Amino acid sequence: MKGLFKSKPRTPADVVRQTRELLIFLDLHSGSRGGDAKREEKMAELSKNIRELKSILYGNGESEPVTEACVQLTQEFFRENTLRLLIICLPKLNLETRKDATQVVANLQRQQVSSKIVASEYLEANKDLLDTLISGYENMDIALHYGSMLRECIRHQSIARYVLESDHMKKFFDYIQLPNFDIASDASATFKELLTRHKATVAEFLSKNYDWFFSEFNTRLLSSTNYITKRQAIKLLGDMLLDRSNSAVMMRYVSSKDNLMILMNLLRDSSKNIQIEAFHVFKLFAANKNKPTEVVNILVTNRSKLLRFFAGFKIDKEDEQFEADKEQVIKEISAL
Amino acid sequence: PPPPPSAMAGDHYHQQARYPLDAGSYRLLCKIGSGVSAVVYKAACVPLGSAVVAIKAIDLERSRANLDEVWREAKAMALLSHRNVLRAHCSFTVGSHLWVVMPFMAAGSLHSILSHGFPDGLPEQCIAVVLRDTLRALCYLHEQGRIHRDIKAGNILVDSDGSVKLADFGVSASIYETAPSTSSAFSGPINHAPPPSGAALSSSCFNDMAGTPYWMAPEVIHSHVGYGIKADIWSFGITALELAHGRPPLSHLPPSKSMLMRITSRVRLEVDASSSSSEGSSSAARKKKKFSKAFKDMVSSCLCQEPAKRPSAEKLLRHPFFKGCRSRDYDYLVRNVLDAVPTVEERCRDSTQLCGCARGARCVSPCRHASGGNVVAAKNRRISGWNFNEESFELDPTDKPPEQQQQPCFPFHHDNDDDDDDDDMVEHEQERQDGKDGLSDVAVPHLVTILGSLEMQRDMVMQVLEGDGGGGGETAGREEMLVGYVRELEKRVQELSTEVEEEMARNAHLQELLHEGACENHTDSSHTSGSR
Repeated sequence: MKGLFKSKPRTPADVVRQTRELLIFLDLHSGSRGGDAKREEKMAELSKNIRELKSILYGNGESEPVTEACVQLTQEFFRENTLRLLIICLPKLNLETRKDATQVVANLQRQQVSSKIVASEYLEANKDLLDTLISGYENMDIALHYGSMLRECIRHQSIARYVLESDHMKKFFDYIQLPNFDIASDASATFKELLTRHKATVAEFLSKNYDWFFSEFNTRLLSSTNYITKRQAIKLLGDMLLDRSNSAVMMRYVSSKDNLMILMNLLRDSSKNIQIEAFHVFKLFAANKNKPTEVVNILVTNRSKLLRFFAGFKIDKEDEQFEADKEQVIKEISAL
Repeated sequence: PPPPPSAMAGDHYHQQARYPLDAGSYRLLCKIGSGVSAVVYKAACVPLGSAVVAIKAIDLERSRANLDEVWREAKAMALLSHRNVLRAHCSFTVGSHLWVVMPFMAAGSLHSILSHGFPDGLPEQCIAVVLRDTLRALCYLHEQGRIHRDIKAGNILVDSDGSVKLADFGVSASIYETAPSTSSAFSGPINHAPPPSGAALSSSCFNDMAGTPYWMAPEVIHSHVGYGIKADIWSFGITALELAHGRPPLSHLPPSKSMLMRITSRVRLEVDASSSSSEGSSSAARKKKKFSKAFKDMVSSCLCQEPAKRPSAEKLLRHPFFKGCRSRDYDYLVRNVLDAVPTVEERCRDSTQLCGCARGARCVSPCRHASGGNVVAAKNRRISGWNFNEESFELDPTDKPPEQQQQPCFPFHHDNDDDDDDDDMVEHEQERQDGKDGLSDVAVPHLVTILGSLEMQRDMVMQVLEGDGGGGGETAGREEMLVGYVRELEKRVQELSTEVEEEMARNAHLQELLHEGACENHTDSSHTSGSR
């Protein structure tokens, strides 16, 4: 009988509702293993629905996304706990559906309904979801998916602030050093995003958490034996300190002789890339107009060595800015 | 209908063996390829019963790519799952090297197979099977919104059973991912190439230069226009020609020139003369290759100047050329091609130069050091301009053939005049020089125009930047993005001005030589003017 009636085309809201029902089913029947024909069928249906959500949000080969459809979808999605269900059920989905789901979640973070970002409001009321996403770094199978979602969520300033102020920040120092390159790099990318994206929030975080943060940063990242960890950390340090909004933190950092010693060791690193990044931070110590005596002492003690080092310090391609900075540093050190 | 490849893709994802993440678990057996900043080894994974794998060891100190790019490649490879797409088992760092553990593809890349036994190309039925598998990979990638951007024989790997995997996502890009510097919010349509006019730079338009010159589609070279999925189809067409001839068209020119040709000239494909006009005539003795109509039709559809007119990978898969593929063609491929070339281990052992042809390792210029290939390569190097006679069915840049412009989408050109081979050197010489003059006339003004347009764009962006005082977080993001664009543009302007300068110098030089050459006889001039 069903076939006699042409089924109405489903609205975007219908697709969301059906996705939600299927997710609820999947969530409840999580215990059953393969061989369950009904579960398989629901799973296939779910995959199709999520793919459809994606094509509504991104458009497909023939058409661009339609704003009205996106609005409908977004409203229905956040009306109930669809995002929570999707995040919780993600490990049960197959690879392709996980990727689709990740892209759907990513896109939803940018959708506006009557000029409000609905996703941001939802996440503010459901901050425990961030905890779930971050813990994804401990599970190789879902780390990259949760990681991508997480980076999209911290586009919202309030959500980034939540993560920055949580205990999770400490965990990133472990995640960054995971042996699996994909996952460690993903964690690094998130860490960097947290510490560079929302300028004012970052400045506040760094000044409030200066002591533990930079102590961890120096001992665990900058002094790591892992090449990638070191190279990414020194780059990030440069990005943070050279940002104008962090100038107070920068002044504090370059007034410490311990920090200076770490940077001077990095200047001698066997990696040229690390040396160059270290130079961009070291120059701040030298350029500081109010150098503390202990910093001056170290620079004076090592003056001849430093000058000799800089005389031979070149980069492969021509870079006027680099040469100018080097001149300046040499001048400063010679004048001490 | 049969399920799309991706429907089954996730299935073996869960039951995959875990490859260990430390160098100590692997025993390197031998080197099977090397590139500028990477070496590829055949290795055994000891804890997994000494399973054979390939390990690409990338020197992160020497690699020009920054760590973010390396990471994006690794991530792309980790998240793709299709039988015709090379997927990494895992990756981890060893000192300043990144080790990417991958399946071992025993027969190496098609490029390496060509140069170690088939310098004049592969039999057509072999081309069909390997290209069909490559297309399946492309279908999957494109469905994922991913553009490969470096399709070529060197990136198509073959296993001992003739199965094929597409490799090297070093330059691939996803249209679902916003570039790191452009973190502002927007989402693009999946495959609009070129992007709808008036739209801001959408995420489906990639404005950076990527890929290897000979395989590059014109709109990639014209990269300020942005390009999409159809660029892969162009490269696919070029790859088909590469497999048919043993090398990509225009590869006897230096890469920058080959790129200029594609910007400034329409290209046409020279059809094998014997197939077009001398059927039944007594010219069978000529050692010309014959290609089926289906093949030529397939290639010409890929090489449409206009991206929108090129077929999608999915559509191409239904082309008659691939309809004839049978599973026994794999056996044919194994017996007649794979068994006829040395093993990847042997290839690497007797190669004197470093070359990345055995694996996905980047090989910047096509290297030909096989015994057969040497002759061809050496001969090509001395020749100025391009050569009409050496190979049939080849990309042949022409400046102003009127009928060409009327049907730019039909690059196969049936031209009876080109029927004769060696006796009309003089005439060809003439044509060659015409081409050269044309190039100098067209290329420089064109580059200057591009340069001008870029400078204008830069100014526009600068204006926007200055107009926007900017305060809040969102504005900062936009500003960051715009600054990113400005930097990109500035870099490109710089590159182009260098190129213009070089080109002008080269033109002056060529003009001089031409002048001198006029006094000598024709054959000589063709040789002297070629070497730069």
